[in-house]
Amino acid sequence: MEPIASHENWRNCFSEVAPGLLLFARQWVQSAADAEDIVQDAFVKFWRRNHDIANRGLLYAAVRSLALDFIRRDARRARREATVLAETEPVIEPHFELEDDTPSALAAAVESLPRDQREVLVLKIWNDLTFSEIAGALGISQNTAASRYRYALTNLKKTLQPQ
Amino acid sequence: MNDFSELERELRKLRPAQPSPVLFERVGEALENCRASVSDAKWKRWRFTETPYNWVSLGFGLAAAAVLILFAAVTMERRHEHQQTVAQSSPASKAQPVPLGTERSISPSRFVPAGGSNVVYNARDEGLHFADGSERPVRRVRYHTQQTWRWRNPETGASLRVSYPSEEIVLIPVSGQ
Repeated sequence: MEPIASHENWRNCFSEVAPGLLLFARQWVQSAADAEDIVQDAFVKFWRRNHDIANRGLLYAAVRSLALDFIRRDARRARREATVLAETEPVIEPHFELEDDTPSALAAAVESLPRDQREVLVLKIWNDLTFSEIAGALGISQNTAASRYRYALTNLKKTLQPQ
Repeated sequence: MNDFSELERELRKLRPAQPSPVLFERVGEALENCRASVSDAKWKRWRFTETPYNWVSLGFGLAAAAVLILFAAVTMERRHEHQQTVAQSSPASKAQPVPLGTERSISPSRFVPAGGSNVVYNARDEGLHFADGSERPVRRVRYHTQQTWRWRNPETGASLRVSYPSEEIVLIPVSGQ
């Protein structure tokens, strides 16, 4: 694979990874706009340092780190807003593009997974990372990444089984 | 893992939400700003190297470094000379006679015994034995002790302490009743 920094047009590279990165960032932040801010910061840092696409785990690690920083920084504001939001109907922006605007059972099942399983699933399915890269991005062992992935699929299967 | 292949195919059919076109513009601007700031930094670095102030400060720096090196060299040389003097004095002291006999009693390095202790930390009864040529049995007891001896110099107050482990076997005659 070509080194990410050697792409003359960063747009090609970014358009390839951006949807998966956004979905990954949405594991921590509900707002799509906040997720875009995080992805922008992470990608710009990654691009400036001429990281190789072989180390793309670093890009995901940067997104995760920035998202966690965002949560910490935003906790106070979130508490303030929570009291306001509690009185209104929550608007959850969809994580996936849905064909007919009706929430897919599968998408809903993915969103209901525990976060540790969901982040591995997102990295594996929609970002095509290997378990080794996932382990590097999340700071866990390769075996843990693989087992979380299996748990995620098992849980999805259980959820989607007809009662 | 084959059990999940169908599910994985279904999952891959779900397409993540696309980023807004504004995001591309923002990333582009941020990268442009980075490039501009990097080239600006390079320009500033070049200007800094070209200004006469830089040569002046470089000259001052070099002069200060030279003075420091000279000072260090002089200090090292002096220390070396001092060490040589100390080394020369040792053969003279070697020639001094070693105090013996009565001279030792008046020497300031005289040590007198100040005490001793013998601590038994283990005693093992090894049973009855017949000693060589003896018709009466003896009980053999093995003691493990720590012996300590102390000397003191009354003039200087210095003390010397020697401690060592020892083993002692005691034979106790057994009398029949």
